[in-house]
Amino acid sequence: MLPRSPHPRRRRLRAAAAALAAGAMLALSACGANDPSRNTGAVGTDTGTQAPAAAGELQVLSSSNELNLDPAKSQSMAVTSLALVHRRLTTWRVEPGQEVEVVPDLATDTGTVSDDGLTWTYTLRDGLFFEDGTPITAADIKYGLERTYAPALSGGLTYHRALLAGGEGYTGPYEGQHLDSIEVVDDSTIAFHLNQPAGDWPWIASTPAFSPVPEAQDDPESYAREPVASGPYRVASANVGVEVRLERNEYWSSDIDQMRTAEPDTIVWQLGQDTQTTTQRLLNDQPANAISASLVPASTLAQLASDPASQDRIVTSDPGPLQYLSINTERVADVRVRQAINYAVNKAAVLIAMGGERGGAIATTYISPGIPGREEYALYGTEPEGDVAAAQALLDEAGVSSLDLVLLTRNDSDSVARSEAIAQGLSRVGINVTIDAVESATFSERATQGDGSSYDLALGSWNPDYPSPNANLRPLYHSAEIGQGGYNTSRYANPEVDAAIDAAAAEEDPEVAGPMWAAVDRMIAEDAPSVPLAFARNSFIGGSAVGNYYVEPFPAYPNYLVLSVEG
Amino acid sequence: MNRRTLARIGVLATQTLLVLVIIVALTFMVFSAWPADPALLACGRPCTPDRLESARVFLGYDQPWYTQVWNYLTGIVAGRTFGEGAGAIHCDAPCLGYSFRLGAPVTSLIASRAPVTASLAIGAAVLWLLGGVLAGMVSALRRGTFADRGIMALTVVGVSAPSYLLGLLGILVFGFTLDMVPVANYVPFSTSPIDWAWHLVLPWTVLAFINAAVYARLVRGHMLENLGLDYVRMARSLGLTERTVISRQVLPNVLTPVIPLVALDLGALLGGAVITERVFSMPGVGSLLMDAVGQTDLPVIVGVTVFAAAIVILANLVADILATVLDPRI
Repeated sequence: MLPRSPHPRRRRLRAAAAALAAGAMLALSACGANDPSRNTGAVGTDTGTQAPAAAGELQVLSSSNELNLDPAKSQSMAVTSLALVHRRLTTWRVEPGQEVEVVPDLATDTGTVSDDGLTWTYTLRDGLFFEDGTPITAADIKYGLERTYAPALSGGLTYHRALLAGGEGYTGPYEGQHLDSIEVVDDSTIAFHLNQPAGDWPWIASTPAFSPVPEAQDDPESYAREPVASGPYRVASANVGVEVRLERNEYWSSDIDQMRTAEPDTIVWQLGQDTQTTTQRLLNDQPANAISASLVPASTLAQLASDPASQDRIVTSDPGPLQYLSINTERVADVRVRQAINYAVNKAAVLIAMGGERGGAIATTYISPGIPGREEYALYGTEPEGDVAAAQALLDEAGVSSLDLVLLTRNDSDSVARSEAIAQGLSRVGINVTIDAVESATFSERATQGDGSSYDLALGSWNPDYPSPNANLRPLYHSAEIGQGGYNTSRYANPEVDAAIDAAAAEEDPEVAGPMWAAVDRMIAEDAPSVPLAFARNSFIGGSAVGNYYVEPFPAYPNYLVLSVEG
Repeated sequence: MNRRTLARIGVLATQTLLVLVIIVALTFMVFSAWPADPALLACGRPCTPDRLESARVFLGYDQPWYTQVWNYLTGIVAGRTFGEGAGAIHCDAPCLGYSFRLGAPVTSLIASRAPVTASLAIGAAVLWLLGGVLAGMVSALRRGTFADRGIMALTVVGVSAPSYLLGLLGILVFGFTLDMVPVANYVPFSTSPIDWAWHLVLPWTVLAFINAAVYARLVRGHMLENLGLDYVRMARSLGLTERTVISRQVLPNVLTPVIPLVALDLGALLGGAVITERVFSMPGVGSLLMDAVGQTDLPVIVGVTVFAAAIVILANLVADILATVLDPRI
């Protein structure tokens, strides 16, 4: 081989190295890339970390790719995103340390019921306007509800559909048909005719479906991005998957809205944000005017336990949403075996898998804390590690010496860790548990759609859509909720319990209904169709400039309606 | 370009179209066998059997599978309408399905996100092509030296490190610790070219580092092979400078297999840099897919899969054409 002639090349390499070094210096000199005061001039796609913390701008960093603002398609709570844009007939009062209450929103009260319990009447406040200045009338509420029957707009919370008379077969207002059981008495009065008494109706009237929608401006294809606001904010711009920007609705007035403080001038949703990065950003207070819409994961909570500085950023609720173990009553038919499982589960171990004290507290009832009517009791002992002797005695009585059970669970690490803790607890009394960890969609299919023949136990979690024991107990234990999309994964059918649930649900006076629900809770527990494991604490993280940031056991989410931002 | 080359390109194009149709049909069939009911997303809560049934009918899931495939294929060509009358939802051609959850046609969802993915992929491709070829050349020309060993060691890291690890490490070191680059989000080129590049530097570098490793090894191997061949010895003996020999004689031969490979890799990335987009909170096609998988949003999953497959197939076509043009022997 010829000798190399490397000199020109060497010179070039040196030049390249010099250029690289210069580039690196340039990059280093650009320190402060995530300084909130650095303005990039980005419009539309806000740059998050670099955007100016404009006075009065609140940012919501969301891992979700969507912010659906069509009330017919929304399952959101009365105190989160949608409620900033749409008011409903009623809403929730969520204040620190107080039980959540249903309060009037567009209406003057939470509803007047007829003597037979079948007609609820509401009167609208004076001086209500949409964002374009047109007055809000009873007809707009009726139209908003009617469109929830349209197949193109299903997917939201539809508790009203089972209760409004004559709703079967109705397919919405787009073909000119109307639902007579929603009666517009006059411009400011609306009456609902039900097919059965419903004590929860004032709560149901706080679901998104009870938001006014002006018929003239309704396009079912685009209303989710271009809604007509009745609340303090209107949509300034919506960039699907990237960002939704809310600005003030000039026609909203705090004089006739006691629940929304509407302090920030603008509220911006940053969509598709990685939760881990978001948590880290907010720990660094970048930006200070933002909150994360996602829960802080259990693993992160454990890491942060040793970092006192992080505690200023994190808000944690008292124990709330129920974590439970369903026992398939069709396959584990002997009540003594189910009771033995209740005694044998090691709830302390499950709690450790949930992140310990920061993750929740041990549960002994089905109705979760923060829900009116709840009474504390413990039918199967209060030992956190369980009562192995009592469990063994019941199994002996039932003549069961060895038992193999399949535990169906979602395959995320948190669920699997809890399942392992359960399996370990049950193995102490000779119950051999096989953990069947599946994709979330497969879990739903097998637990709520199928015939229930593929599992003996199932791990579940429940936070009701509104704070009534009815929304807590009916979906999980009424026989009408077995299969076909229902959440009664215990496949528990007891006619007496069904009747007791129906009777309590029909009671309009919360003072009377409360003890009835507490009795139902106990009645179910005697049949032991599931094991209440723990009440979860939800933790959220926000920047230092965000005020009024708190989480109550119910709804276990921050109250977005009162958030403030220091300018 | 002679007639034979043109004929070959024609055959390739026809094959591509056929493969595309088959892929659309197959994808649709595979996802129709998905264990979860896609109509559940459109059922609402509480979900009753009659509401589930009406959601199925509305979305066309009540039809037999072959009708669904046919509707899907015709939808791509002629568009579709879900439901009837004033309450119907329209999905214009090319309709890749309608996401009930996001309330938008899948085609427009992909179209709004494609620029993000394209920015990410093309920028990264330029970087890794430059970096990979340069590193491979240096490595080959300095065979056995410290530089060669260093580069080859780096390529092992690049080939074996997963993108989420490098991405998170990059965010931690350059974003949070050194505060040199932004840690999240995307700025459109039209808004501010500087911020566009500024937000993309880190993801580009991560993607480029991973992909460049393969190119460096490939270029090094080909280069060493070529340097030992007769034509190089011939060129040198004719008195050409080493620089001319490398740039005019060796490099074109080395790059012939590299260019089609770029087209393939780029195609795969354009279909969605799934992990990278998610880690850097970039609203691209890949992050759309991630989100849809988490929510079992079947129309989006199918639509993005078809789109990604189409891009890869087109990239294959481009690669084949490039190979044919660059090397007429094929």
